[in-house]
Amino acid sequence: MEIEILYWYWVVLGVMLMLSEIVLTTFFILWFGLAAVIMGALTYLFPDIEVSWQILIWTVLSSALALFWFKFLKPLSIDKTKAGLSREAIVGEVGQVISVPREGMRGKLRFPAPILGADEWMIMSQDSLAEGDRVRVKDVSGNSLIVEKA
Amino acid sequence: MGFLVVTVAVMLLVLFTFYSGVRLVPQGYKWVVQRLGKYHRTLPPGLNFIIPFVDTVAYKVTTKDIVLDIPSQEVITRDNAVIIANAVAYINILSPEKAVYGVEDYRIAIQTLVQTTLRSIVGEMDLDDALSSRDKIKAHLKNSISDDISDWGITLKTVEIQDINPSGTMQSAMEEQAAAERARRATVTRADGDKQAAILEAEGRLEASRRDAEAQVVLAKASQRSIEMVTAAIGEKEMPVVYLLGEKYIKSLEQISKSQNGKTIVLPADLPAAVKGMMGKL
Repeated sequence: MEIEILYWYWVVLGVMLMLSEIVLTTFFILWFGLAAVIMGALTYLFPDIEVSWQILIWTVLSSALALFWFKFLKPLSIDKTKAGLSREAIVGEVGQVISVPREGMRGKLRFPAPILGADEWMIMSQDSLAEGDRVRVKDVSGNSLIVEKA
Repeated sequence: MGFLVVTVAVMLLVLFTFYSGVRLVPQGYKWVVQRLGKYHRTLPPGLNFIIPFVDTVAYKVTTKDIVLDIPSQEVITRDNAVIIANAVAYINILSPEKAVYGVEDYRIAIQTLVQTTLRSIVGEMDLDDALSSRDKIKAHLKNSISDDISDWGITLKTVEIQDINPSGTMQSAMEEQAAAERARRATVTRADGDKQAAILEAEGRLEASRRDAEAQVVLAKASQRSIEMVTAAIGEKEMPVVYLLGEKYIKSLEQISKSQNGKTIVLPADLPAAVKGMMGKL
């Protein structure tokens, strides 16, 4: 069985795939489409490549493109928004100790502006703290914060 | 031919791999990924890649605030009154992996926890305190369940007591008490008014009698003075008395003539003689 694939088949397939990405938003069809367009260019330059090799090259090329994206390009575009991410919003914030944690009792801390709906939080700490110290939030435990000296 | 089939198969495999490996997590959610049935990692919002066949997204957890309705329940206060209270809690999941693995169903867990804690806090308060100090209950509640929910990676942002009402019989008793209290105040007020009125009246009478007495004294003094003045003018011993008597006599005649019954008034022609006659001497 002889199947002939013309170079523009690849280009059309690629464009169709890239268009379908707009509707599907899976973010991997785009790379298959891009690879198909590149395949179109390759078959235009080298029309003698066998069909099965063409498919294989396409597969490898699209995987390589997708992996390249995830490996190198995606880390460059880190989203810094903290909308809806409460833990990320509070960890690392600096506040002032207004009452020192003592044996069996939790201390209190005040932020300059309310975070997660309150500006005063109960605190626990390994460090020995004094009133007025500036502390950084390390973790959250229920309604208490685990802090360390800033 | 066989090679073609293999390449197509490989192509489909790659396609499927990417299809099941690329995960787009929407903002406001975190996805918990298990690798071969064991917790592996939590996917943040945005584009993520998991290894197909080994990794599965086991839970999709919202990181937005969750509004939990705490159903109304009967609570007994320290002074044995029954009140009905319900609340609304706002929670936020900080660590999705703790929330899904730490407790079977965190919503029910927190609902029940808030319910029981509310009951124990109100149980330590008197009815009147419980009805008036909602803010205290709120702060207390937040503090007491902090430790319980810390294992679940959840923070309780706020608890609001929605309704806190006495039960039916309690309410009617309280209304009765309030009504009785008002009635008592009304009675006291009325008695107070009566007392004040009586005192004022008595004071008025006292003042009036005092003035009357004073008036009599003033009148007597005036008579004395007039007798003295007439005596000084006439200079005789008995004549002044006669003069004054005569004057009074004429004045009374005048008054008789003014009265409605009097028709005719006859004045004695010889006044001194008449006075003399009345005196029987002179």
